[in-house]
Amino acid sequence: MITRVALGTVFMVATLMIVSFTAIDEPARMAQFESGYHGRSVEAGAALYANNCATCHGPDGKGIAGRAPAINAADLYNGTRFKEIGWSGTTHDYVHGAIAGGRPRASAAFADYPQRMPTWSREFGGPLRPDQVNNIVDFVMNWEETALLEVVAEKPSDFVAVGLDLKDPVLPKGDVAHGEKLTQTYGCVACHMNPDMNVAPGPGWPAKYYSGGVSIAERAATRFTAADYTGNATSAEEYLRESILQTNVYVVPPYVANIMPKIYGEQMAAQDLADVIAYLQTIK
Amino acid sequence: MALFKLHVPILDDIKTKGWRSALVATVDQTVERITAGINIGEIRSILRGEAPRRPNPRVKPHADGFWMHMRPTFFHEQVMSLYPTFRLGWLTTYMLVFETITGLFLMLWYTPSPDIAYTNMLSLLSNVPFGLFMRDLHRLGAELMVMLVLLHMLRTFVTGSYKKPRQFTWFTGGVLLLLTLFLSFSGYLLPWDQLALWAVTIGASMAEATPVVGREVNLLVRGGADIGANGLLRFYLLHVFALPLIAFIFVGVHYYKVIIHGHSLPPGAEKVGEDTARKVPMERRLYFLPDVMTRELFWTVGWLALMVFMVTWGGWHAPLEPHADSQITPLHTTAPWYFLWLQGMLKLGDKVFFGVILPGILSGLLFVMPYLEVGPSRRYADRRIGLSIAALTIVIMSVLTFMGTPYYGVSSSPDQEVLTTLAPQTHPGLLRGTAYDELPVGEWVASGWNNAPSQGLQAVLQLYNQEIERYADQLVNAKGKMSITEIQAGLKQVTMQVEWENNGAHASEPLTVYLHRDSAYEH
Repeated sequence: MITRVALGTVFMVATLMIVSFTAIDEPARMAQFESGYHGRSVEAGAALYANNCATCHGPDGKGIAGRAPAINAADLYNGTRFKEIGWSGTTHDYVHGAIAGGRPRASAAFADYPQRMPTWSREFGGPLRPDQVNNIVDFVMNWEETALLEVVAEKPSDFVAVGLDLKDPVLPKGDVAHGEKLTQTYGCVACHMNPDMNVAPGPGWPAKYYSGGVSIAERAATRFTAADYTGNATSAEEYLRESILQTNVYVVPPYVANIMPKIYGEQMAAQDLADVIAYLQTIK
Repeated sequence: MALFKLHVPILDDIKTKGWRSALVATVDQTVERITAGINIGEIRSILRGEAPRRPNPRVKPHADGFWMHMRPTFFHEQVMSLYPTFRLGWLTTYMLVFETITGLFLMLWYTPSPDIAYTNMLSLLSNVPFGLFMRDLHRLGAELMVMLVLLHMLRTFVTGSYKKPRQFTWFTGGVLLLLTLFLSFSGYLLPWDQLALWAVTIGASMAEATPVVGREVNLLVRGGADIGANGLLRFYLLHVFALPLIAFIFVGVHYYKVIIHGHSLPPGAEKVGEDTARKVPMERRLYFLPDVMTRELFWTVGWLALMVFMVTWGGWHAPLEPHADSQITPLHTTAPWYFLWLQGMLKLGDKVFFGVILPGILSGLLFVMPYLEVGPSRRYADRRIGLSIAALTIVIMSVLTFMGTPYYGVSSSPDQEVLTTLAPQTHPGLLRGTAYDELPVGEWVASGWNNAPSQGLQAVLQLYNQEIERYADQLVNAKGKMSITEIQAGLKQVTMQVEWENNGAHASEPLTVYLHRDSAYEH
């Protein structure tokens, strides 16, 4: 019996010692869990952003002209945007409110964005759970650090827009690699490189992302000769040029008009357009 | 005549006996009242290990006290060594009390609503001192309790302790087994994570297969077509209220039967057909005070020490998966381990027969077994058939449990298997467990794992390559690509793409995983 009592006492003391050591470590452990959970929330937010937000705000949050404003931009975090619209709360609350509730109507101040921001939280009739909205907020707020450091590049002073015409000016030779980069910069990839064909608002470029199983290069090469084609292109290059600049002239069903912004004639230089077209013709 | 007379006896004692004697006498009396009959002198005698006087004054609390009256005054010394009970019944009872106490702590921070339950879990883990500790203990206790109950039942069968007159004790034990399983299972849903939702969805769809009443039972338990707010509330009330209440009642019945029949002796200790548990000769008695009590306390403390060690330095932690999402079914989702045998049976064929009717018949047989198997002898040599059946049952159950796991008879596409091995949906896995800085930005291929610039990436790519080679017969000329980019400060995007040839055509399957610097999956 003495052995049992002694051993039992040792067990009890050992247990209390372990618990005491745990107690010392508790504040650090709780803090670590909190930062760990925040990290996982950003991860979950990144996946949700790619599926729901990137098609309008761009995969890198730089916005897509004609669809939605940049959120990976210094003015959202340094207060200038809030001065313009008269918001006096925190950026976090602003972002959260904008995502959860959406916008009641298209912005009057920014005619560039004809579509309204959808409601996302289930609380207000949207598709996402409140915790998922929080995940997206955490992901967006994770841009703050780098966005504040960024200097916005001005367009060079010798910039000449390419305009809307299909033949004038004659395009220089395109650079495929630079063209691929430009499709990122302009946000084209958000809609045209989306693996989920049911979600993408525009036709996918690679054969594997297009329901017909044909790449944009092959489509461009043949479609302008098709019987139901209503545009004015007479070559694959012109077909692509028309699709980029005159976005509503010919829209392949089941896609609809007015989704692709009709702004690239003013935004792109001739060399840029040539690069993008050259890149598109290499996609398989 | 005074209306009210205050009389303090100690004052009279002090007058007659003096301070010292009066105080000692009062303390002694108080101790004797609290212990319902043991005074200080007797406690000292117990601690010195002295044999009791005759008549034994240490049996008084059993007659006068509430708690002790539930315990026998003495046991047969042969049931007090490790064999034949292995303390399994005692430890199970202890676990029920332990779960109640830890569960009460957890209830303080929990709201049974799908909107907030998971957030509750996160704040329990991040803002409540010892929140993780309590949750881990509660979960570990639940797993151990199921194991203890099963082992207790096995032990009772092996020593033949279910035989006459203890048939009904066995029956109530069967009820307690079911209650323990449902207690554990109902607790599964409460954290409202993916594990919870899908384990319970599997369980509830098994119930749905019940003929005639399946749909109604399912609706009643889930509170709707899917598990939602109603279902969570129902599981919560079952878990914290209904099931524990019934369990405590049945523990009472079970223990009452154990006491009135006595603990059965080891099979070899008595003649065949005799039950001498209640006829303990004087010289073989082991009195509850102090021998049995110190043994019980010893096991209690030892078991507690083991559990506390496991959840702290031992590194055992209760799992918490991502928020429940009925839109995303994780690949390889399973029932809790103690229901895996049932999941294994379901893979054999018809859902109604293998999922409901056969298990129903088997558990029904378990309940009435002591009334059917009425052989008089408890000796092992006389029970070769019974013991063989028990051994066979254990083997079959183990095989069925294995068959319940995803390793058996689950066909999913090999490309998804490869990707899921690297980044599983049910636990972090190797990729997420790799340190952030060990995953350098760039384009990598699985077959070139040897040349990867960091050890962490090497390990990931090596596993990637191994998995692709494992399915080489289905993934012809397969290539595993991995592209790592840093898309935000402290956030990397890892896109994996398995490419292979399918009847000459090119096929590919992508998976994108995001990893944050702070997410600390490796901990």
